[in-house]
This record gives sequence, structure tokens and C-alpha cells, in this order.
Amino acid sequence: MAAVVLQMIPTNVSVEPDDRHLVEQIRQGDDGAFETLVRRKTSKVYGLCYRVIGNGEDAKDISQLVFLKLWENIEKYDPTYAFDTWLYRMVTNVAIDFMRNKQSRDNAVNSNLRLVKTSVDPEQTVTVARREVESVFNAVSNVLSPKQKTIFVMSEMEDLRSSEIAKILGCRESTVRNHLFNARKLMQTQLKRRFPEYARLWEESR
Amino acid sequence: MMTCRQFRATLQPGTTDAALLEHLRHCDACLDFAMGIDPDLFFRSIGGEELVPPGGVDAFVGDVMSQVRVRSAETSLAPRHAGSVWRRLAIAATIVAGVTGTSLVYRLERSAPAPRPVAQTLLRAKPHPAALATKSFVETYSSHNATIVEVPNDGSDAKVVMIFDDTLPADL
Repeated sequence: MAAVVLQMIPTNVSVEPDDRHLVEQIRQGDDGAFETLVRRKTSKVYGLCYRVIGNGEDAKDISQLVFLKLWENIEKYDPTYAFDTWLYRMVTNVAIDFMRNKQSRDNAVNSNLRLVKTSVDPEQTVTVARREVESVFNAVSNVLSPKQKTIFVMSEMEDLRSSEIAKILGCRESTVRNHLFNARKLMQTQLKRRFPEYARLWEESR
Repeated sequence: MMTCRQFRATLQPGTTDAALLEHLRHCDACLDFAMGIDPDLFFRSIGGEELVPPGGVDAFVGDVMSQVRVRSAETSLAPRHAGSVWRRLAIAATIVAGVTGTSLVYRLERSAPAPRPVAQTLLRAKPHPAALATKSFVETYSSHNATIVEVPNDGSDAKVVMIFDDTLPADL
């Protein structure tokens, strides 16, 4: 006799529509669905923009621009691909464009600024303060190209795998790993130059 | 979230374990320890956290939606040049007909027989007994509309250049 397994299925649980379903509703002209999608993705989009750009206000503007582009291009989304991959591609494109423009502006303005050398007592014990890490990252990551920085952020801070990053950027996985390797190397060099107290921690552990 | 003891016992260099990373991103005490195991965790420690735009999520979403409404209004107010599908088809058909007609006329014009070189014309022309006397020519140059003939002048070095233009009126 076959055993019958009964499962209790709750009937009054409201299931949130998935991203693809929301996109379908937006395509039919549902503004409410778009608002739901924006609300759902705000932290992700803003987080990536903030870490790549390093400035809250700029990151907010870029995030808004990303959502406007999303709304304008919603017909182009192919539901056979993950929605987040498509969204991240849009974010990285807009953020990289912004950084390239910003870099050329900054180069013109800051060409006369010199790096301030930090004096460190070799015996000084260093405790890593979390808030400082963020500012160190912003200072050190300036040497990276927009693409290197975006890949570094997606890999190290957004915890995306190389294969996912490759899909987002439309390149090979080996290219992503190559950018990552170079980014780490450049940042370590910068860390030694500008923040030797942290670089020492690095060298001690090697 | 795991305890510091668990974290320190399980941490390995190059970890991508979500639970370990979550602990690392919230525990200052373990950050120094983690740096000793794997320095690449230095920048990894600032990731993962959900970030909120300045002013909060509600204000952000409100801004985005108001911009979307403005864009929608602009789009709906914009003049519709293209019109319906039938109108677009009619425009496309007119353009195709125009291009085809032009190319046909062009081909017909090109395939029309080119004016014969003057040399051949002169040779084939029946000799008029009294009025026409042909002269020997030195060289001819042909183009679409005209032929230039260099004819030796009697008794001197100067050469007479004759131009036969089909487009010119016959009584010129």
C-alpha cells in the first residue's frame, strides 16, 4: 500500500512576486510593480555604486540614473537570464562611465597635489579600526582603473564569483581573474606607500 | 551569527564562506586575527553590509518614481511622428518605390548606347561629293557628351581642335 504523505500548505501566506514576474507587470504598464522592484533592489544597487564610486551623494545619483535606465529599457530584458545579472550590468556600465569622466576631471584638478607621507613608529601596535578600512580603501583604490575597481568590489565586497562577474561584464572568467590579480597587487603597493601601518600587518602575515 | 571562538577555529585563508565573512564584517575583535590568517580579508571586511542611500529608502524610491512620472508625461506629450503601423508601412513602401524607380532610371540611362567615337562615325559616313571633305585626324578623346579631335592644320604646326557635342543644337 502506497504511503500518502500529506503536507500542510499555508493558504494565507502572501508570496512576493519574483523579479521576472514584476518585470512582466511593468511591461504591461504597472507602475506599482516598478516601485516594488525599485524598493527591492535599492540596497543592492546603491551598495555597489557606493563601493565603486566612494561617495554617498554621487552613488545616490548614479543609482537613480540606473533605475531610470531600467525603466526605459525594460522591454530589452530577456527573462531567460537572471534579472540581477542584467541589473548589475546596467549598474557597472553607468558607474564605470561616471568614474571615467570623474577621473579625467580629477586629473585636471589634482595634478598638483602630492601624496602626504605618513610617519609610522615601527614599534607602534596597530589595531585595525573597521571605519578606517573604508577610508583606506577609498584612498588606495584610486589607483585602479574603473573596470578593475568594479571587479574588485564585486568580488571582494559583493561576494560574487568570477563566473558571475564575467557574465555581468560580458567577458571571460580568465579576464576577471586577471583584473582581480592586478587590482590586488596595485592596492598592496599603494597600501605600502600610503598606509605603511596596515601594510605591515600584511607583511607580517605573509 | 557564529561566535568568535568558532570563527577563529574555522577560518582558512581565501575563505568565501558566507557565515565566516558575515562574522568578519561585524566583529572588530576578529578583524586583526583574520588579517593574520589572510591579509586579503582586509578589504573584504567592509563588504556585504546592506547600504541605505542618504535620506532613506522611502525618499529614494519616491525620487525615482517622480522622475519616472515626469519621463512618462514627456513621452506621452511628445509628437507622434511615426503614427500607426499602416502609416509606417505606407511611408516605407513610398521610400522603397522611390529608390527602386530612381535606380531603374539610372540603369536604363547607363545601358543606353554610348555615342560612337568620331573616328568610326567618320569612316562609316557616306562621302558627300561636294560639301564635305574629311580631314585626317591625329588623336580623339571620347567622353559621355563630347568628342575632341585633333586635326593637323595645313602648312603650320598649329592644330585645329574640333568638338562634337551631341547635346548642342544642330544649327549652332
